[in-house]
Amino acid sequence: MKKAALVLALASLIFGNAAFAADFPAKNIRLLVPFAAGGGTDAVARALAASAEKHLGQPVVVMNKAGGSGAVGMTEGAMAKADGYTVTMVTREIAWLPQMGLAQITPDNFDLLALINEDPAIMLVRPDSKFASVKDVLEAAKAAPGSVKFGSTAKPNFYLLALELNQKVKFNQIPYNGAAEAIPALMGGHVDFTMVNPGEAISQIKAGQLKPLGVASDVRMAGLPEVPTMTEQGYPIVTGTWRGLALPKGTPADVKAVLADAFQKAASEKEFTGFMNGRTLGIRFMKSEEFKTFVDNDVKALTDIVEEVKKQQ
Amino acid sequence: MVSLLLDGLRTTFSPGIFPFLVIGVTGGIVIGALPGLTATMGVAVLLPLTFGMESTPALVLLAGIYIGAIYGGSISAILLKTPGTPAAAATVLDGYELARKGEAARALSVSAIASFTGGMVSTVMLITISPILANFALRFGAPEYFALAVFGLSIIASISGKSPVKGLLAGMFGLLISTVGLDPVTSFPRFTFGEMNLFNGFAIIPVLIGLFALAEAFVQMEKIFEPSHAIETNFKRGMISLKETIALMPTMIKCALIGTFIGSIPGAGADIAAFVSYNEARRSSKNGSEFGTGCLEGIAAPEAGNNGVTGGAMVPLLTLGVPGDAVTAILLGALIIQGLQPGPLLFTKNADIVYGLFASLFVGNILMLIIGLLGVRLFCRVVELPKRFIIPVIITLSMVGAYSMNNSIFDMWVCVAFGVIGYIMQKADMPSSPIILAVILGPMAESNLRRAVLMYEGSYSFLWTRPIGVVFLALAALSLYSSYRRAHSS
Repeated sequence: MKKAALVLALASLIFGNAAFAADFPAKNIRLLVPFAAGGGTDAVARALAASAEKHLGQPVVVMNKAGGSGAVGMTEGAMAKADGYTVTMVTREIAWLPQMGLAQITPDNFDLLALINEDPAIMLVRPDSKFASVKDVLEAAKAAPGSVKFGSTAKPNFYLLALELNQKVKFNQIPYNGAAEAIPALMGGHVDFTMVNPGEAISQIKAGQLKPLGVASDVRMAGLPEVPTMTEQGYPIVTGTWRGLALPKGTPADVKAVLADAFQKAASEKEFTGFMNGRTLGIRFMKSEEFKTFVDNDVKALTDIVEEVKKQQ
Repeated sequence: MVSLLLDGLRTTFSPGIFPFLVIGVTGGIVIGALPGLTATMGVAVLLPLTFGMESTPALVLLAGIYIGAIYGGSISAILLKTPGTPAAAATVLDGYELARKGEAARALSVSAIASFTGGMVSTVMLITISPILANFALRFGAPEYFALAVFGLSIIASISGKSPVKGLLAGMFGLLISTVGLDPVTSFPRFTFGEMNLFNGFAIIPVLIGLFALAEAFVQMEKIFEPSHAIETNFKRGMISLKETIALMPTMIKCALIGTFIGSIPGAGADIAAFVSYNEARRSSKNGSEFGTGCLEGIAAPEAGNNGVTGGAMVPLLTLGVPGDAVTAILLGALIIQGLQPGPLLFTKNADIVYGLFASLFVGNILMLIIGLLGVRLFCRVVELPKRFIIPVIITLSMVGAYSMNNSIFDMWVCVAFGVIGYIMQKADMPSSPIILAVILGPMAESNLRRAVLMYEGSYSFLWTRPIGVVFLALAALSLYSSYRRAHSS
């Protein structure tokens, strides 16, 4: 009886909203970013928000809510009122934080809206390094397991784990707080190599302060066409990160359609693509259904790796 | 380079730029002075406003806020015993004591002059030797960071006031709370009790606001119907003399260099620089025993040190493309959103912007000095306001500040909890600064010690084989020894 009342109440809520969907959006839309202002996720969100405003006819206000590797902001986004006025920028962390027991929400707590960006990992060394190829790095690690120092941007590091599990090697992982710490550690010679997203190190790569050895992707990057993929070098390692948009579960379908349409248009807007290309940030757009399959596959792909991490803890 | 700088000056004074610099510096001073609002927050909050602007005015505005706010924090530290920013936590020690003697105007003028000196010296260093500084900063690996953090922690002994034991207890408490959050090596949650908001540990800003601003407001509330703050009784309007300024110059320049150096090391910022400067000034001063009782050197040192960071923190930003502290991390984001490439390429591709920034740092520091000195009288009026007006304002601003750093209600509760802790500590005559120092340096010491052990595959030999690290560990021992001697001679 109580359940029925609840369903009824929910239904009226949903249909009640639907009645207003014709005027959606009637006020500011909040884009929740689960990382701090000034970082990569923030930059993508702000560029996208600026392009989306035109298509929504309302301001899109970016709100940073950092903490717990994104868990704090993404949880708030999942728990927000499902009226379409809170959109969350979800990142690959949503695929592994719950499995690690570091977040109570999972991708299923969201209505996934669209994938926006995907970046491969790129392996970097100093220009004077004794390593001249991905092969050199792996051979050295195979010859003396645990001797090659990897400057890690976060722990657990799924780029390194992909490399280690694929090639059955072991590196000495030195954990840092993000690329902003790991990159100077590599430049100063305190670690032997690192793997980051190209956008995080493009300044140093372009200035010749760091040397890229390989991209963990099937195809070469448009922004760095001279850097070979790891697959080309005989090591089929594909890993990276992605960012997309999500709504709280139960958002009315027509509201979702308005947002999906606006953000799809925004993602192909010249200002946005120009910004992304300029920062070597990859654009990969997927609609809701496709994005959901993509995330489900990623969760499955990360399951084994997460088990490995838990063993190491 | 000179012609580039002159071009930069021309840009700075152009009608499209100069107003932004004035707004930035003035706004920065206000943001810094308001308890609860910090330099990082000011720059972060205004960042989105700059997206629609041209690159140069955007950077000039943000840089102006940065230098203004680092200075502005000292105003409330001196007048209200409430550091406006973490960088001003060390300024409370002598600044408030001097103000309590009725010499608030002297304290404020020292702070303005020292901040100006710090900013100017560090800008000169930034322009002339930033590649050298950057190369030196890169030599800082985990062992060096660990040694620097240990040196920083040894300063607890010199900021503990009358009772080193109480200071040590406060420091231990600070270290304890700095262990809350995800383990830096294994990412395993520690002392979080399943509370997701604690995964990153206690944020420093709400802790600072609670311990200083709220706790002080609670203490003052007891005497809310007394006429006003304790300061006004024998209020003197005079600022410091030229002779005194010249006498302070060596200290200020030395601390400005310390600040520049610490700023240029990625990950160490104005808060650490202020404490290290205070400690060094006290150690080398002839009147070390006067520190903590309201001496001019005790204000000049941390203020020159923290504004010294402003130029220093730009060194890695402009030469390596990595941020030097929390504020320059946001500036890095600003550069990226402006479509610029931070790092050495900026000098070759956008020299006009870089030199425009350099010139505006010079001009901005001069503006800061002028506004600071002209404002002394106005600022002093704050303490003449009745407490029943000031205290509610401070409490409101504290809550706004605690919330707005990360848009977090949880942080407001953290702030209130530390307000109560700070109140109890004041009643027990325990110093609060050691907690702040420990919360800033504890994670730095821990994660770098563990990183270093990983790098050395389990060996601790880095403690005596890395020269820079050995120097800092020796400085830590020296700092402890001189505090010990001072305690025993008095």
